[in-house]
Amino acid sequence: MSHVENFTCIGCPIGCPLQLTHEGNEIIEIHGNECNRGAKYARQEFIDPRRALSTTVAIEGARWKRLPVKVTGPIPKDRVMEAARIIHGLSVKAPVSRGQILLTALLGDPDVQVVATRTMVLSGSPSSLVDNAPSLP
Amino acid sequence: MVGRYDVIIIGGGVIGCAIAHELSRFNIDVALLEKHAEVGFGTSKTNSGIVHPGHDTGLDTLKGRLVVHGNALFDSLATELHFGFRRIGEINVAIAESDLPILERMKKQGEDKGVPGLEMWDQDRLRREEPNLSPALIGALYAPSAGVINPYEFTFALIENAVRNGVALFVDSPVQSIVPDGDGLCVTTPRDVINGRFVLNCAGIASDQIEGLLGFHSFSIQPRKGEEYMLDKRLKGLVRRLVFPVPTPITKGTLIIPTFDGTLMVGPTVRNVEDREDFSTTAQGAEDVFSFVRRLCTAISPRDVITEFAGLRAVSDTNDFVIGPTRVKGFLNVAGIQSPGLTCAPSIAEYVRDILRTEGLSLVEKSNFKVDVKAPTRFALLHPDEQEIRARENPLFARMICRCEGVTEAEIHEAIDHGARTLDGIKFRNRTGMGRCQGGFCTSRCMEILARRLGIPIHEVTKRGGESWIVTPITTPEEE
Amino acid sequence: MLGRLENNYDVVVVGGGPAGLAAALGARDSGAGRVVVVDREPDAGGILLQCIHSGFGLHYFKEELTGPEYAERFIEKAIDHDIDVVSGAYISGVGLDSDGTHHVRVMHDGHGITTVRSQSVVLTMGCRERTRGSVRIPGDRPSGVLTAGLAQRFVNLMGLLPGKRVAILGSGDIGLIMARRLVLEGCEVVGVFELMPFSNGLNRNVVQCLNDFGIQLHLSTTVVGIHGRERLERITVAPVDQNLQPDMSMSRDVACDTLLLSIGLIPENELSQALGVELDVVTSGPRVSSTMETSLPGMFACGNVLHVHDLVDYVTEEALLTGRFAGEYAQGIRRPKDNIRIVTGNNVRYCVPHTLSPGREHTLYMRCREPMKNCVLTIGDLVQKSLSFVVPAEMIMFRIKPDILDRFHGDALRIDIHSAGGET
Repeated sequence: MSHVENFTCIGCPIGCPLQLTHEGNEIIEIHGNECNRGAKYARQEFIDPRRALSTTVAIEGARWKRLPVKVTGPIPKDRVMEAARIIHGLSVKAPVSRGQILLTALLGDPDVQVVATRTMVLSGSPSSLVDNAPSLP
Repeated sequence: MVGRYDVIIIGGGVIGCAIAHELSRFNIDVALLEKHAEVGFGTSKTNSGIVHPGHDTGLDTLKGRLVVHGNALFDSLATELHFGFRRIGEINVAIAESDLPILERMKKQGEDKGVPGLEMWDQDRLRREEPNLSPALIGALYAPSAGVINPYEFTFALIENAVRNGVALFVDSPVQSIVPDGDGLCVTTPRDVINGRFVLNCAGIASDQIEGLLGFHSFSIQPRKGEEYMLDKRLKGLVRRLVFPVPTPITKGTLIIPTFDGTLMVGPTVRNVEDREDFSTTAQGAEDVFSFVRRLCTAISPRDVITEFAGLRAVSDTNDFVIGPTRVKGFLNVAGIQSPGLTCAPSIAEYVRDILRTEGLSLVEKSNFKVDVKAPTRFALLHPDEQEIRARENPLFARMICRCEGVTEAEIHEAIDHGARTLDGIKFRNRTGMGRCQGGFCTSRCMEILARRLGIPIHEVTKRGGESWIVTPITTPEEE
Repeated sequence: MLGRLENNYDVVVVGGGPAGLAAALGARDSGAGRVVVVDREPDAGGILLQCIHSGFGLHYFKEELTGPEYAERFIEKAIDHDIDVVSGAYISGVGLDSDGTHHVRVMHDGHGITTVRSQSVVLTMGCRERTRGSVRIPGDRPSGVLTAGLAQRFVNLMGLLPGKRVAILGSGDIGLIMARRLVLEGCEVVGVFELMPFSNGLNRNVVQCLNDFGIQLHLSTTVVGIHGRERLERITVAPVDQNLQPDMSMSRDVACDTLLLSIGLIPENELSQALGVELDVVTSGPRVSSTMETSLPGMFACGNVLHVHDLVDYVTEEALLTGRFAGEYAQGIRRPKDNIRIVTGNNVRYCVPHTLSPGREHTLYMRCREPMKNCVLTIGDLVQKSLSFVVPAEMIMFRIKPDILDRFHGDALRIDIHSAGGET
């Protein structure tokens, strides 16, 4: 019994509508793509769709309340919300450097860490008068 | 908290605040109860801000009898209280020949009442004086005594001076019951029980409901909605004066209003509504306003709208002010204050004072009545050298908060010092958030300052009190 | 170095986002000695600081970075190149003096109000967002109606959600990105409503922000009413016809407590207008010559304040070039006035710069009016370039080599995009 999965290619702004016909896990054919990128994309989305993830975690002691973070490798699409929940459970204290690893082996994958994407220094406590902490160490 | 007062004023709109201010001159105890988070948050903040000359009404109504004196009182009040007031003049324009005799009648009516300076203009004069109006207009009646104010600035100035002179202000205090009690009345709010010898019903839209708490109805309120449309600053100076069409029995019509700050506003519409909380603007309202205004001035189009809002006029079934004692001793109505209500606020205050005196309240003037409320700083209007000096004295003048209107952090604090507790409270005190970006830049900054000053978490800061929260905290997974 | 404002500079850059930082680098590169970037936020980086998603730098760094990473790399470069980066400072005015120098009025947190003198100025103030007022949605005025960019600041910098049940008007990238962001933070996104029959965001964002999360995209639909006494309670939406007019008979209510508006960006030219800089009504940004100079001598402009970009990499490139010219100007170099005027022809909505000179390489940035597949970009009869597709949402960049203009002898050069017809 063959089934068809539909994807929109994200390789370029044309956004070809792609149809991937498969029987179980075996790909029978792909059409709709105007170039090879579309075929590759459809294949990847069918076999192992992955996503990048960036979000923020709570940070204490910095000028802002949130530190932006990202995962260092794409994670399975259907585990994105799970990953977000894990990351949101982290909390960090300033100072933090860009690239600093906050969590290793996200979702058990040794190749995927969670890293800070911004440097945030320790700040004085906020007051309505000038808070003149320097931007970078 | 239980307190005893000589006079309790229900309603902190411009009328309640004007009366509070007038009564604060005397050695009596006055309380003002306002149901919203801040004064002026009802109809007053949506008022057009016009101080009318009064030639469009006769002497057959109370509103017609109070308006000329009210208008005249604005000069001394503005000097005393330092709120912005400018007599920019008004023209009632004639669109058709049949309008001209109506204008002539209005001129005579005004002169009979003592409205100063009324002049008929022919087409040439009109074109010279207001070159951007439609050349199809054939003439106008000019009334130089018309002025403009910011109605909320006026309301704040009134209450601030009143409080300085001893008036007790209760906000977030809707009245739940009023009961005769001995030689006065007992008024209950969610947090307080207050006794007063006299109670003044200045509750605007709700004034018939307030009277109803005592079990009788001497009038009823028909809310009448008016939508207004604020236009982009680039149209500043398009017209110099207030532009009115010829009035009808129901309404003064759709106007072109150069507000006190110079930005143009067009409106209001006129539509009776049933829902007393219906402050919605409507597509039909916009259509009505712009299709009419184009006949007055073709340069105005909906493209220039930066914001729109609506207010509800408290129109009584008598179509006049309802001011005076009632069958309940000590309970006085000051209700049905439709246009020219704002203009009459000072004269209504004197009128009510005199009624109270007649009703037996002894009014002895205070020897130490204070009038030193300073005008709010308008940093953006100061000379650059003056700005630098201020910033040296107070570094918070060097922190821009509202970049569209040029408002600094020092002024935000001033607004909070003077009673602002919400984003709208700040907005109405110094224009923060009223400019082109409509709060895009200043909102988060104002919220941070309000949270710090009020000692509340930032997610408890509201737009205008009640349920108007703005943000809610991100919760961690455990909290969910 | 950081935080100090001197009295005199060669180049002052107004705004420390990606355009400002790159312009400053370009100015230093050209040999200008004293260059300062002035930014009103506590930290430089501009809007990138709240754009925590990746998608930046693929062209410039050959890596995909998040906004904050891209910003920090440039701040580090700026510091390495001896550029002053002054944050917490708001420029309230700029003026041209009779001796040709500029004075810049700065409101500097903790330092009062000062005037700085500069030989040249680069305007890089970026954009502001279109508001409810400018699209005139009737109804109540509750809290809970805000722009997507303000919501992004609340969420990503301040740890605050704009609400819990969110509708989004506008399917440009900002709206799509925020849809995903809010779902990741536990909100319900009830739908994205788009006036046009297509989204003008990247397909990648439609897929990864909406489809992945089961968020419905309602095309040819707009918001026609906002309801709520104090806080938003519901919106009314209606489909629109081919003239973009709503069919009110088909309107329906959507319960929500938050409405994000992602309905367009407007270059922030209040300062430019106050100076009397000539603006292009199509871009809403200054008209600039091929040296990125505005109509006022010594005043240059680049980045989103000049025209709304979609790729920060192009902003960087445009700004590096602009900075170089501003730096040259500061050192007394004056280029001859451009003598070729660009005329926008078929399917070209705008092009910057607005004028050119022969004898130099130029980079043109333009946008088409309508999507077209298999088309040809023609520049006079000097250039014919095949393009497999053009869409308004994707800026077209084109480099003109010096020798090409040498063949041109007219004063108006017309740019067109035509369908290639039967050709593939």
